[in-house]
Amino acid sequence: MKQYVLRRVVLAIPTLILVSIIVFAMMRLMPGDVATRMVEGHAYAPTLDALRKDLGLDRPVHVQYLEWIGNITLHGDFGRSYWTRQPIWDEFARRFPVTLELALLTILVSVVIGVAVGIVSAVRQDSAADYVGRILAIVALSVPYFGLAVLVVVLPSIYFRWTPVWTYTPLSVDPLTNLKIMLVPALVFGVTRAGPIMRIMRSALLDVLRQEYIRTAWSKGLAERTIVLRHALKNALIPVISLIGLQMPLYIGGSVIIEAIFRLPGVGLFFFEALGKLDYPVVQSVNLIIAAMVVGLNLVVDLSYAFLDPRIRYR
Amino acid sequence: MATTPASIALPDVAAARAARPRPWYVDVWVQMVRRKPLGTVGALIVVVMLAAAVLADVIAPYGFAQTSLRERFISMNASHWLGTDQLGRDLLTRLIYGARVSLYVGFGAVALGSVLATLIGVLSAYFGGRLDLLLQRGVDAWMAFPPLLLLMSIMSLLGPSALNITLVLGAAFGIQNSRVVRAVALAIKEYTWIESTRALGSGHLRITVGHILPNVMPTIIVVATTGLSTVILTEASLSFLGLGVPPPYPTWGGMLSLAGLDHMYQAPWLAIWPAVALSLAVFGFNMLGDALRDLLDPRLKGS
Repeated sequence: MKQYVLRRVVLAIPTLILVSIIVFAMMRLMPGDVATRMVEGHAYAPTLDALRKDLGLDRPVHVQYLEWIGNITLHGDFGRSYWTRQPIWDEFARRFPVTLELALLTILVSVVIGVAVGIVSAVRQDSAADYVGRILAIVALSVPYFGLAVLVVVLPSIYFRWTPVWTYTPLSVDPLTNLKIMLVPALVFGVTRAGPIMRIMRSALLDVLRQEYIRTAWSKGLAERTIVLRHALKNALIPVISLIGLQMPLYIGGSVIIEAIFRLPGVGLFFFEALGKLDYPVVQSVNLIIAAMVVGLNLVVDLSYAFLDPRIRYR
Repeated sequence: MATTPASIALPDVAAARAARPRPWYVDVWVQMVRRKPLGTVGALIVVVMLAAAVLADVIAPYGFAQTSLRERFISMNASHWLGTDQLGRDLLTRLIYGARVSLYVGFGAVALGSVLATLIGVLSAYFGGRLDLLLQRGVDAWMAFPPLLLLMSIMSLLGPSALNITLVLGAAFGIQNSRVVRAVALAIKEYTWIESTRALGSGHLRITVGHILPNVMPTIIVVATTGLSTVILTEASLSFLGLGVPPPYPTWGGMLSLAGLDHMYQAPWLAIWPAVALSLAVFGFNMLGDALRDLLDPRLKGS
């Protein structure tokens, strides 16, 4: 087990190096130029050359890359924004709780809805409830989350004079107000993400319910409730967990749009604003940090299988 | 009853016709209508979308960029079935042309991506070894990014345009799905008849293009059809953020957009109809893709 973890961690290193090269090369080789924009639109420096020299953009590309990646690995320094000159890590750390809270609430909503509907659908297969559940899953899969978010922002304010709360309050300041603010975005995002979970929950549970140990449980005279929740669910949850793990990048990517619509000051909004200003170091570092998180999460998900299914052994 | 030679011959022809197996690409649609009602509905939606896209110039009541400042924010009426937007442009017209953009980008990206996925997947599987290792680490690195973040980064550097977004979505689609193609090609490569063709003196080109490719084809078709809805949705989310197809050309994502949010409080139909159109399109492609997958490649069921 220890060896398996170690090998996975070591294997992640070349992937992360490649990731860093991809983001860096992307920012430097593609047409947009941050210096031109900073000088022409905002007069950050008297001339283009002066600004380039100031930002270190006049040096060879490989030197710039090594400096960026060297500072990260040796000093944990992710650089500073070109525009605000603020350290990127501080800003990231300040905003991360917002994004994390949104992601966790979203996952909670989608899992609660998805698993509940999936169980009912599977246990009462081919009943009216099953059909309603399956139709719900298809609808959830079809409605784009940003479309639903726009409708939720616009329609109630016209017809019910209700609007989402626009001023953000951190969880540490006022938990109740904070939850009120986060609940609507998390519901909108979670409901649309529940579709795939409902489907996989249903098919996994149907699969497990036909296995022999479940028949044994029935013949022992256990109640249906015990059989489904105690015996079947644990095994049927494995594909659900792996689906959530696989979809983690989608939750993070989607949070950019959700944060932009609901004006939540999270990492997504930070990233989106930096993109608009072609703020190279911010885009690079945020991309890298998030990619590292995704790689780490995949590892955690893989390891959680062993906990859920003792038959799985790692070598 | 007099038996003429013709009436004797007739049943034979019918029997022969029935005995001859239908080619698979016809059979798939027959099976679809018989066994997959949702898939059939999906196919119908896709056909309607295709018709709207192709015939947009004929059926759209107005021009897509035709503004009329005296007719801003009109709600549904006889001359503007779905109302007008902040510049007095007809919403129905823009939805119809939006179908064209969605399909242009969707089909373009998926076609490009399928070729790329096949190329990477088959090469990686067939040659294996160092090439495989190299290509797969690249794919690993690409997959470590949340797709939307990566696409947003690339699009904001390249600048929004229909061609750019098609190329970028195509590349992303190709790299992501090369995994599936590789897995299938790996399995096919191990069959004995591939070994036999090699023994008969076939070269690499003949084996890959002549033997492996035709057998990977059903998988590629499945990947492409199930992927269409994702690509259309991704295009819409990028256009929503202003990083997709630039105005004045209408896209469903762009019509819903963040920038136009303020106008929607005055005219909620501006939010409702593009969202409905997009949902219907995604629904249609999803159902069609699912049904095709079940009929063409049962191995991928549930994936």
